[in-house]
Amino acid sequence: MSTILNLSLSRRQFLGLSAAAGASVFLLGVALPTGCAKIEQAEQDQDLNAFIGIDADGHVIFQNPFIEMGQGTYTSIPAIMAEELDVEMPSITVVQAPHGPDYKIMFDNTIRFTGGSLSVRSSYMTMRKAGATARAMLIQAAAEQWGVKPGDCTTEPGSVVHAATGKKLGYGQLAEKAAKLAPPKDVPLKDSASFRLIGQPVKRTDSLAKSTGAAEFGIDVKVDGMLHAAVMQSPVFGGKVASYDKDAVLKLPGVVAVEEIPNGVAVIADHFWHAKKALEKLPLTFDEGTNAGFSTQDYKVRLQAALSEPGHVAEEVGDAAKAIASAAKTIEAEYHAPFIAHVTMEPMNCTALVTKDHCTVWAPNQGVDFVVGVAAEITGLKPEAIEVVTPFLGGGFGRRFVMDYAIQAITLAKKHPGKPIKVIWTREEDIQHDHYRPMSAAKFSAGFDKAGNPVALQITSVGEGPMTRLMPGFVKNPDLDTSVFEGTVELPYAIQNKRTNVVNVPVKPVQIGFWRSVGHSQNCFFKESFIDEMAHAAGADPFEFRLKLLGEQPRFKKVLETAANLAGWKGKPWTDPQGLKRAMGVALHESFNSIVAEVAEVSLNQDGEFKVERVWCAVDCGFAVNPAIVKRQIEGGVCYGLSAAMGEQITLEKGRVVQGNFDTYPILRPDQMPVVEVEIINSGAPLGGIGEPGTPPIAPAVCNALFLLSGQRVRSLPLSQYSF
Amino acid sequence: MTTLLINGKEHQVDAEDDMPLLWAIRDLAGYTGTKFGCGIGFCGACSILLDGVLTRSCSTPVGAAKDKAITTIEGLATEKGLHPAQQAWVEQDVPQCGYCQSGQIIAAAALLKENPHPSDEEIRAKMVNLCRCGTYQQIFSAVKRAAEIQGEQS
Repeated sequence: MSTILNLSLSRRQFLGLSAAAGASVFLLGVALPTGCAKIEQAEQDQDLNAFIGIDADGHVIFQNPFIEMGQGTYTSIPAIMAEELDVEMPSITVVQAPHGPDYKIMFDNTIRFTGGSLSVRSSYMTMRKAGATARAMLIQAAAEQWGVKPGDCTTEPGSVVHAATGKKLGYGQLAEKAAKLAPPKDVPLKDSASFRLIGQPVKRTDSLAKSTGAAEFGIDVKVDGMLHAAVMQSPVFGGKVASYDKDAVLKLPGVVAVEEIPNGVAVIADHFWHAKKALEKLPLTFDEGTNAGFSTQDYKVRLQAALSEPGHVAEEVGDAAKAIASAAKTIEAEYHAPFIAHVTMEPMNCTALVTKDHCTVWAPNQGVDFVVGVAAEITGLKPEAIEVVTPFLGGGFGRRFVMDYAIQAITLAKKHPGKPIKVIWTREEDIQHDHYRPMSAAKFSAGFDKAGNPVALQITSVGEGPMTRLMPGFVKNPDLDTSVFEGTVELPYAIQNKRTNVVNVPVKPVQIGFWRSVGHSQNCFFKESFIDEMAHAAGADPFEFRLKLLGEQPRFKKVLETAANLAGWKGKPWTDPQGLKRAMGVALHESFNSIVAEVAEVSLNQDGEFKVERVWCAVDCGFAVNPAIVKRQIEGGVCYGLSAAMGEQITLEKGRVVQGNFDTYPILRPDQMPVVEVEIINSGAPLGGIGEPGTPPIAPAVCNALFLLSGQRVRSLPLSQYSF
Repeated sequence: MTTLLINGKEHQVDAEDDMPLLWAIRDLAGYTGTKFGCGIGFCGACSILLDGVLTRSCSTPVGAAKDKAITTIEGLATEKGLHPAQQAWVEQDVPQCGYCQSGQIIAAAALLKENPHPSDEEIRAKMVNLCRCGTYQQIFSAVKRAAEIQGEQS
């Protein structure tokens, strides 16, 4: 029944909030099936999605199903809702929606997470309908009160008005009455011509809190009586604790307990420093298990061997092998990418409190329901007895899909009922126990006709995909996990004969995961570098070569041309007035339904030191809901991808991660940041993602420029291995 | 007990002299705006002012902070309002995830105190804290804007 107010946890949270605010908040129980065809079913299921609450002062509380990790969801998502509800952004407080089915609004109402560059595009219509339906209910309430027709009423931000009589009531005055109304179906949405928030650079809702120290991240959570835990996990993946002598540290200052966690030991103390200090003194040995012999060197050999195996066919157009065999000219190259870590600036952490019948978890996470899942499993409590608080995330980038840190906090809290326990990982634990972007490789062969036109492209992509490991439900065919080869299929370039083979090379001992842009991050580097090799083999300008192959692809063409125009494309290296050699490199890639082209200008001095000076980006994500955030996400994506390309690499020896902190795992420094310029193309195509698509093209764009500068083709990252 | 003077207020904390100042500020005095990023003085997320001097609190022991004035992000605003760097940060929507920004703003405040009109090169040379979201370009631009705001207000 869609007439009832949502009386689940979400309702309770609203009541809690209103009590804290000293005022009543009226929840508008809005039935919002995300797919129009599902209305009937949704009603039978009482599938209410309750996002909007309004208090008596007209203040709007918006329950966001998506978490904020920097990508702007606490601004863009409420703005979409506010456009239709007709309220000003400053009147909205954004809170994280509680767990449960009400907020599983993705993939036909089956799941909720924040990732895959999906937040805006998966909820755009849902949020518009939520706002529009709530507005219609407020209008209805006003019309009934005034005894006029709803159709004669309209709204201005925060108020319903009746133009004929000049009557006006604020949303706060109408909320209680409106909340009792049946939500109407099929409320018409605004004409996009009258948008005043969607498509505008709406200011972020979190800038003030994040500029004053007031913003609360998971690591900042304060709970009365809270204890702090430092953890030491097995340095070898799959290893277990063999022995430890808790008595050696229990008498150290502040130490409360020493406990085992699934893959290690935790010291619990009155504050983190005491816990960490005692942990360092704890006599502790691990049974390293069967993975103590693993090394990235050995795995590289396995990947290389796999490059010659037939594997599974992911894509086949024409007959690439035959076309290559009869080609006038052929080229071939092998590419490699290392394991890389997410390195969120906020290390992994989680706070948990378990009692006999309740569990509260304060967890920076990219999936609230994932936290509930592990909490239910560990505590044996039902989801209704579990509450998850999601503070701001100090970066996510795909790392906080995996719940290892939450499992630790809940496990410890269960052993100490009634005591809130906060687990914080040191940076070393964070880097050495990440779920890494998988190490991978690819082999490319291309054939050209006598005129130098490409006639065939054959790709073999090898590695293991994180999708199979972490979200197997999304893998339709286990032989063809797209997270291995995405970016090497469905290329926009018109090449008659094209084949992509995939060979799965499990890397079991190593934890792998989703790293911003996932398979695209390495595959774009492989593919756009090789396309560049093809251009040079054909004696063509790399930009012109691509453009010529995009004949039937107007969106790609426009994006590529826009980036090139922005850059003032130069296909040849030059020497600037200061005597510094400079060159441009270009890359074009589609990921998450958005198309991005990036042109990088790189300089090389006489000592062989290079610098990425400027980057010009063009992006077609269909339509930019918030162009300011879109630009910043592309800029940030460039930084993230460039950081990895420059110096990021996780290696393992004897089953252990070699790198430990920023001194051995360098991330991009401010002085290495290029000037980035972004142009948005609103093509009107279906909405694409924006958090990730800026990342893939930067590595090949830079490497392609370096080729022009040095004659050296970079076929393996990071760049810190090379001298130019 | 040790007395720490944080943001103009005396705090009695039960801290050993070798405890990193960062953890005393966060866990004992309760100012969580100052962040833990690396613990080795590398990233700058823990930046504070110690007697006005830019300091990485994760690698500064409590013992070195006695009798000195500690300023954290929470103590940067005055009765006149936000610090010019904070104003510029808000005006230009610099933060993304925001985790490193307390340290960035503290670093900007230290720079602007020492050099009210820094050049682009000086900003790039002095603003060295790490950010993973890639807000560097916005940070540089906000420091310029903060210098303007500071100039207008003085």
